[in-house]
Amino acid sequence: SVVGGCGRLPALPRQPGMAEAEAAGDSGLGPAAAQESAELAAVIGATVPTGFEQTAAEEVQEKLGSASRISKDRGKIYFEVPARSLPQVHRLRSVDNLFVVVQEFKDYQFKENKEDALKDLENLVKKLPWTDSLKVWELNNSLKKKKTKRKKHNLQSPASREKLSDGGEEGGADQNNTNDQENCAQNPMAVEPTGGQDTEKPQGATSRNGVEEEEDSEQSDVKVEVQASSESRTKAGDGQTGEGEAKVLRFRVTCNRAGDKHSFTSNEAARDFGGAVQEHFQWKADMTNFDVEVLLNIHNNEVVVGIALTEESLHRRNITHFGPTTLRSTLAYGMLRLCDPQPTDIIVDPMCGTGAIPIEGAAEWPYCYHIAGDNSPQAVKRAANNICSLLRKNESKDSSTAQGVPLDILQWDICSLPLRTGSVDIVVTDMPFGKRIGSKKKNWDLYPACLMEMGRICTPGTGRAVLLTQDKKCFAKALSRVGHIWRRAQTVWVNVGGLHAAVYLLRRTWERAEERRSFW
Amino acid sequence: KLGHPSELPPEPVPDYEGDEEFLRRVHHVLLEVEVLEGALRCPDSGRRFPISRGVPNMLLTEDEP
Repeated sequence: SVVGGCGRLPALPRQPGMAEAEAAGDSGLGPAAAQESAELAAVIGATVPTGFEQTAAEEVQEKLGSASRISKDRGKIYFEVPARSLPQVHRLRSVDNLFVVVQEFKDYQFKENKEDALKDLENLVKKLPWTDSLKVWELNNSLKKKKTKRKKHNLQSPASREKLSDGGEEGGADQNNTNDQENCAQNPMAVEPTGGQDTEKPQGATSRNGVEEEEDSEQSDVKVEVQASSESRTKAGDGQTGEGEAKVLRFRVTCNRAGDKHSFTSNEAARDFGGAVQEHFQWKADMTNFDVEVLLNIHNNEVVVGIALTEESLHRRNITHFGPTTLRSTLAYGMLRLCDPQPTDIIVDPMCGTGAIPIEGAAEWPYCYHIAGDNSPQAVKRAANNICSLLRKNESKDSSTAQGVPLDILQWDICSLPLRTGSVDIVVTDMPFGKRIGSKKKNWDLYPACLMEMGRICTPGTGRAVLLTQDKKCFAKALSRVGHIWRRAQTVWVNVGGLHAAVYLLRRTWERAEERRSFW
Repeated sequence: KLGHPSELPPEPVPDYEGDEEFLRRVHHVLLEVEVLEGALRCPDSGRRFPISRGVPNMLLTEDEP
């Protein structure tokens, strides 16, 4: 069944006794309706770092017991869960953004003529099964509100968000709004046209290419409280007051389009689809203060219509102090998973930067011991601050004594690590990319030295390394020189801030490293 | 040498894996005590590595090998 012309979701009176119901601003779902929604089978779409779809699918299987389908549209996986599992879904660590699938078309036939193709999309709106998905969206909202209440206000100004672009892909296309507001001013529909890439690229703004921009690491210790949802925009959705008059929902449409046979652009599709949505639900189009974000994902002949369940990418969750090249937590998680950490493993990140990888590691694999190090005092300071933030977050729960974290940080030289030979199980790091830090020439000398030293500290036979690098040529060359110590086991091609990079899984051979008759 | 009453023997006793009391003390020192200011000392060379705000600085100077 499809929601009819009336776009107002009924204002249900708030019921006391609903599990964890909080004071004002609750979703307005009565217990019976919530119960019913919770049992719905929701098809969830998740965006993940490209290359790590399999890893994400494994995490979903492990934590939710559901099998995933990996889409041809890279960086997306789909799985089905009962709607009541939404809290666990949000806790997945390999996922950047989530949406509920309204409908999926595996082989949609687009008309060749632009007007016809667009008209078809418009006509599609009223035929789609919106009801269940909207119920899931509503249930999801009530979860978000609870989270918001517990956490402090996020005071990110749009200006500071722009500044922080270090190339990490911000899943929320709302970043683009500030740029495109002028373009859309004339258009009364004001549906979000950006986020539509006419090339094969996961969601991300071409205008904010963080590669060029190098933050001044001295000054910009920009402190950002990244919690579940931002309060920096007033949420129109807050006002389901249940006091008679239900508010009209505000929405926007984000279209991602990839493929070379379409006769229309993503902007056009978003605009026309949005027009039909507005017509059908009588919702109000609003680019910045929206309640419902409708997703129209077109990848060749695969069309997926969804409703966003996350508003800002989950990938910044652990990092409050950014550096110029901070790695996404989801990518860090994927890398760690690749090396299959076992309890009691010693895991070292010898070039940790702001600590994205070891912090993710300590949070998710608390039965391992994590050691992080960097030679840069700024990096070490930032990493230490990020760890403190993590400790404070743990502290704020009911425990009286502060819970420690199995993670230590040191300032050291990657070529001269103060660690015993063969004592480390896993080395995992983001190797410097010539373009952002250091230079390509420096990498030429650095990479072999790193690999040797990492080989020395790593346990022969059982040890492994997972290394991310953009300088694939240099890496391959360096690797060929240390073939007696490292074997390449797997390569994952990834996209880091628009750069094509690779993650290499290496296994330590059984050959023992020479004991260094040196300072250590 | 923490200046902290951890009562650890200078060397692990034989069969230390089975000695629960010992293991508890080691666990405490390794995982529950954090040095914020102090130093690490190399047992062979005696070289001191300062610890500041919980972070040891293990960088060697130019003239050290």
